[in-house]
Amino acid sequence: MAEIQPPAEEIRALVGYEFPGGKYTIAHWENFLLTECTGSEPLPGDLVHPVVLFHMPILGAGTSIGGMFALGQAESDFSIGIESYDWEIERPLHEDLEYTVTGRVTEADRMEGPRRNDRPGVYDRIQFRFELHEPEGEFAASSTITWTYRRSAS
Amino acid sequence: MNVQAGDSIPEWVMESVRPERMRTMAAILRDPNPVHWDRRAVAALPFGIGERTINQGPLGLSYILNMLMDWAGPTSVRRIVMRFPQVVLDGDRVIARGTVTAIREENGVRLADCDVSLSREGEAPSLAGTATVALPPE
Repeated sequence: MAEIQPPAEEIRALVGYEFPGGKYTIAHWENFLLTECTGSEPLPGDLVHPVVLFHMPILGAGTSIGGMFALGQAESDFSIGIESYDWEIERPLHEDLEYTVTGRVTEADRMEGPRRNDRPGVYDRIQFRFELHEPEGEFAASSTITWTYRRSAS
Repeated sequence: MNVQAGDSIPEWVMESVRPERMRTMAAILRDPNPVHWDRRAVAALPFGIGERTINQGPLGLSYILNMLMDWAGPTSVRRIVMRFPQVVLDGDRVIARGTVTAIREENGVRLADCDVSLSREGEAPSLAGTATVALPPE
């Protein structure tokens, strides 16, 4: 069987990896544009559209979509597939509130078989979990992202 | 709000998925993947999609969130878990749908567990998952 890079051990060793963490404040302009992209009217008051739970935890934790691609040693942007997103909202999110964000890799493994819309093959499945806390420490929300990274034989 | 298991949630329709919204979204997300903003990059892929950009997963998910918030209120969504069996493309007309599967109470709050999906008319879901929604008092 042809060799797959990176070695599966390198992928499995990602479990427990922690992003630097940090703070993130959702500005009105960001919430407005984001909400418009969804086709919704702005939510009342300073409520933030929950779709923010994709990018805000990622950026707040001190990483980026590109950084997560690189962490899993993606062969290209096109090699990434979404397995699932799991968002929990304990407390509604608000504009101009500084959230503390943490993030880490919770699962990572090499898999073989078909992915969505794709030919069967080898891929790595990596799960990331991010958590948001309000300034006083109350848990606000979490985002669990599970992506697949397609591998080609070298 | 009188809700029972088996109830359908009023549909939410995105009449046409617009590529300019994907581009704005890509900028906000700092998403480097050209499948969301470069039609020629998509056409070059071996998926037979043609020159149409691929909607971001979170954007498709947001249409389902809009359906749930229009139904039960802007702070109602407690959890959403979504899978993405098919892509949504620019120009698609997609419909968010949901069905209540159970009603339960947790810490004095009535919760509705729901099956939710997003699909083109007459086609299998592009997004499918579950959601938990806090219901307003009856």
